[in-house]
Amino acid sequence: MKRIPFSRCATQRLASSTPRRPSCIHNVAPHNHRIQWQARLQTTVATPNDGIAEMMAEVEEVPAPESTSKFPSRSPSRKPLPLEHLPSPHPRAAAQSIKLAALRSRLSLPERFPLQSLARTLVHPSADADPAFNNASLSILGANLLGYYTTEYLLCNYPRLPMDVVFAAHDAYIGPKALALIAREWGIETAAAPGGEVDPGLLQFKRLRPGSDLPAALQRQLPWKWEKTTTHKIVNTDEFGSNVKPASAHALQGTPVPVEEAAQSFVRALIGSLQLHLGTPLVKRFFRDHFLSRQLDLSSLFDFRVPTRDLSRLCAREGFEPPVARLISETGRLSRHPVFVVGIYSGKDKLGEGAGSSLQEAKIRAAAAALKAWYLYKPLEVTVPSSTENELHPKNWKPNMVDCGEVIV
Amino acid sequence: MSTCKPLARVCVKTSQPNLLPRLQTRHESTTRRHRKLLIVPGAPSFTPSTPQPTLVFNPPSSAPNVYHTPLKFLPKDDRRRQMYASFLSSSTHAAHRTATPTIAQPGTPLHTTNVSPLNNAPTSSRLPPRPSSALPTPLRAPYEKTYHLTEADIKEIQRLRSENPDHWTRVRLAEKFGCSQFFVGMVAKNHEKATRVSEAHEAARARWGTRRREAREDRVRRKALWGRDA
Repeated sequence: MKRIPFSRCATQRLASSTPRRPSCIHNVAPHNHRIQWQARLQTTVATPNDGIAEMMAEVEEVPAPESTSKFPSRSPSRKPLPLEHLPSPHPRAAAQSIKLAALRSRLSLPERFPLQSLARTLVHPSADADPAFNNASLSILGANLLGYYTTEYLLCNYPRLPMDVVFAAHDAYIGPKALALIAREWGIETAAAPGGEVDPGLLQFKRLRPGSDLPAALQRQLPWKWEKTTTHKIVNTDEFGSNVKPASAHALQGTPVPVEEAAQSFVRALIGSLQLHLGTPLVKRFFRDHFLSRQLDLSSLFDFRVPTRDLSRLCAREGFEPPVARLISETGRLSRHPVFVVGIYSGKDKLGEGAGSSLQEAKIRAAAAALKAWYLYKPLEVTVPSSTENELHPKNWKPNMVDCGEVIV
Repeated sequence: MSTCKPLARVCVKTSQPNLLPRLQTRHESTTRRHRKLLIVPGAPSFTPSTPQPTLVFNPPSSAPNVYHTPLKFLPKDDRRRQMYASFLSSSTHAAHRTATPTIAQPGTPLHTTNVSPLNNAPTSSRLPPRPSSALPTPLRAPYEKTYHLTEADIKEIQRLRSENPDHWTRVRLAEKFGCSQFFVGMVAKNHEKATRVSEAHEAARARWGTRRREAREDRVRRKALWGRDA
């Protein structure tokens, strides 16, 4: 059997069979007709004339590719606009894209998630400046959802984590690098250049030329405030506790961006559109399967400077007996490679244990292990707040543990 | 003439160097002795007493997992408190009730009669020690904090330190007043002396070569990794 390259086959079919995108009545710039179409296509941009309910109703209804006959405004005398003039693929082309269908089934998304929405999540604002056709608004929604689910998972499951570790864990789960990596693992391919004739299953963005500088929006900007306290980070910055404000999703229109930037905006926008089309339970399951399932060793995120001092402060705060380092076992004290095993005891309870090639090293490692054992406490039963959504009188709700905070020396 | 003698006598017994390599020769008796020495009874946990296949549980000793919260760190209402307490009491009870295991009976290689170096308890075997209420020895002797210095003492410390910082060092003051050197440094700081000492140290460090400097820098880096558990 002869193998046919699928992508070429698909583009040929697409070019011949799809009807051209109808152009607008007033025949102005190619973008303006889209404003008129806005209610037809899936969009989350709130326009003055359509309310939220209407928008949701539009979202429910999947625009079919053959729905061109529904539009009476199309005049037969008008010449259809060539696809090459569009900044991003037409939503109608999504139904015929093999790549999009493959991506949907690869992510185990149900059939009722429309391919047109999936295609829209792949359009970065750098490719298409129109907010009704790019993924900027969806990615804002998705970023908020990701931050919400990650935060409630971390704070409910590890109530004693220090804030710096919480920020680092956020960065590891849903940080920019993690999202770009997830998009690569999902097998997202990028288009060489965005355009209306390109397969909608490819990530559409304007590429940053190699060797050129980052755009001004992505470069390091001024901090939010010249203040670096943890409280300020919790209250005023984003979920990563970053010093500088990240670029807004709408600020990158037309500017060339690196691949990672476009890939992470796709992942966020996918979460946002899943929320709009499929609802909260499926988004939560998707988040659990694709984000929380990534292995992260929280104990490797700690960095103690003086763990012995911190531990004695902790014991004094909690009313335990002062910690005492005791030598559990040793070998080769007079040799070149001795090993000491030291345990930190408070009263008769062992809090932590560490091994080292000197007594001091073993003691410090044991104190660090004891502090980690304190901070990494995990309650047995946890009910995250989002599990009680859409319930008037949640019966299974059990208040979570709230810790008084990390050790301050 | 046959009595004609050569002028130089040929020396028959010359001390020629032995060119053969000096190899250690191992005869049959030596070999057998060495191979006998190598026959060591198997580890008791790997030599089950029954011919039937049994479960061998002999995990290597490793540091406890930090995700297993110790009993003391559990909140009051955590269910693991009762579980831990009941397990500890039952295991201690069982360990105290059982007699000396057969593999550590007198006459077996695991049997010794010596004194444990850690807690000076007589151990009858090389097996891990039985659970006991005796804790291991502390690294340094535990001490109680005596808040015995008065305001007048502190004034005296400060006066001595400011008058003659070269003689009244932190060590001497700590010995005199029976407190720690850290406390002396806390109440009576002498910035002038400190800068002088640090300059002297800096001058000494400037004379270091590459190897010593790099070794010291590596040591600092290694120390920073202790708190990171890496």
